[in-house]
Amino acid sequence: MNVQSFSFFFAILALGCWLGTLAIIVGALVRRFGNPDAFADLREQVGGVALPLAWAIALVTTVGSLYYSKVQGYVPCELCWYQRICLYPWSVILGIAAWRRDAAIKVYAIPVLCVSVLISAYHSWIQWFPPPSGTSFCTAAVPCTLKYVNEFRFVTLPFMALSAAVFMIALLFVSEPSDVEIDIAEEVEVSA
Amino acid sequence: MSNRPGKSTSASQRVRAASNAGKGKSTAWIWIAIVAVVVVVGVVAVVAGRGSSAKGGSASPSGGTIVPNGKLDYGQVSVSGTNLTPMPDNGADPMVGTVIPSVTGQQFDGKQLAIAADGKPHIIMVVAHWCPHCQAEVPRIQGWLDASGMPTDVELVTVATSNDPAKGNFPAADWLRAQKWSVPTIVDDKQSQAGAAFGVSGFPYFIVTDAQGKVVYRTSGEKTEAEWNALLAAARTGKAPV
Repeated sequence: MNVQSFSFFFAILALGCWLGTLAIIVGALVRRFGNPDAFADLREQVGGVALPLAWAIALVTTVGSLYYSKVQGYVPCELCWYQRICLYPWSVILGIAAWRRDAAIKVYAIPVLCVSVLISAYHSWIQWFPPPSGTSFCTAAVPCTLKYVNEFRFVTLPFMALSAAVFMIALLFVSEPSDVEIDIAEEVEVSA
Repeated sequence: MSNRPGKSTSASQRVRAASNAGKGKSTAWIWIAIVAVVVVVGVVAVVAGRGSSAKGGSASPSGGTIVPNGKLDYGQVSVSGTNLTPMPDNGADPMVGTVIPSVTGQQFDGKQLAIAADGKPHIIMVVAHWCPHCQAEVPRIQGWLDASGMPTDVELVTVATSNDPAKGNFPAADWLRAQKWSVPTIVDDKQSQAGAAFGVSGFPYFIVTDAQGKVVYRTSGEKTEAEWNALLAAARTGKAPV
């Protein structure tokens, strides 16, 4: 596979992330403002796979990011590095949480991923609409407005990171109560 | 309050019941659907990638890279340093001896390419897709490269500038791919910043630099094979053709 194939592949996955996020939001709105029992079974099933799926997304995002920088030689800019800082750790931590069925990880993961969303959104914006005067993050050697990938004329690398982070947040919101919560509840009950 | 679990529903029982509720229902179909979608997308990407390889993107026999199946009509360009002034119509070129500005841009596939004083002599060729002299010059030089091979001691780079969809032969990527142009090429932005950085005043336009990045010679217009060889010699020796 050449880099065009990989970019096309990752771009489709990014768009899939938005579809998944949209489905979760619509489901939540229907339950909130419509029938609270709607999609109950589906909600439970998605909640059960949400954590390992979020981990898989973090893993694919990390591997994809390393592919572009290490295999293709695309030099990450300063903003890219901030996004990496926010995303890379979850490729390990969410794996452990998924193994332990510890959905309480969302308390820690969601705030960090929200920071990633903000940075990715800003980075995507300045790549789509480069400011004439540049930005304080841009350098001549590694300009942050340089679009290494531009699939479908709008799916750039920061947009891919944005897609992954948004979907991970949505998945973490619907992830099921954890075994750890159960253990804590039992301990509290026994000690009471 | 007793330590013994009572008969009434406790918090732990409710949490465990909620957790166990999903266990009875298989989630295998979700994973199967996800894997199926990913596999289908992967196959489509591979098939599409093979198609693009047939049009370009592989290493050329002369060692360069055929203009890949890029989609960029315009690139992102940043210039560091001072632009060269345009070449005067008559008299000596005042920019000879001046170090060229660093120009970082994108090739047609989005990959980054930089033109800068990097310790190697350069010949920078600036072309415009609508210029008939460039359309004649590109196959001539490509023929020379095919016959002689890509020089290893002189860096050849192209800037495809003055891109305008209202003019003929647009986009430059299609034109250069059709010519199997094997020289790494920066596609200029809408403002033609890369072209302006080198003081372009005609097409095709050639800037010859020495290893320190200093301008040795600038010229415009179609070149014969002898004149092309003279440009290569100028880059190697650091002396303008007589």
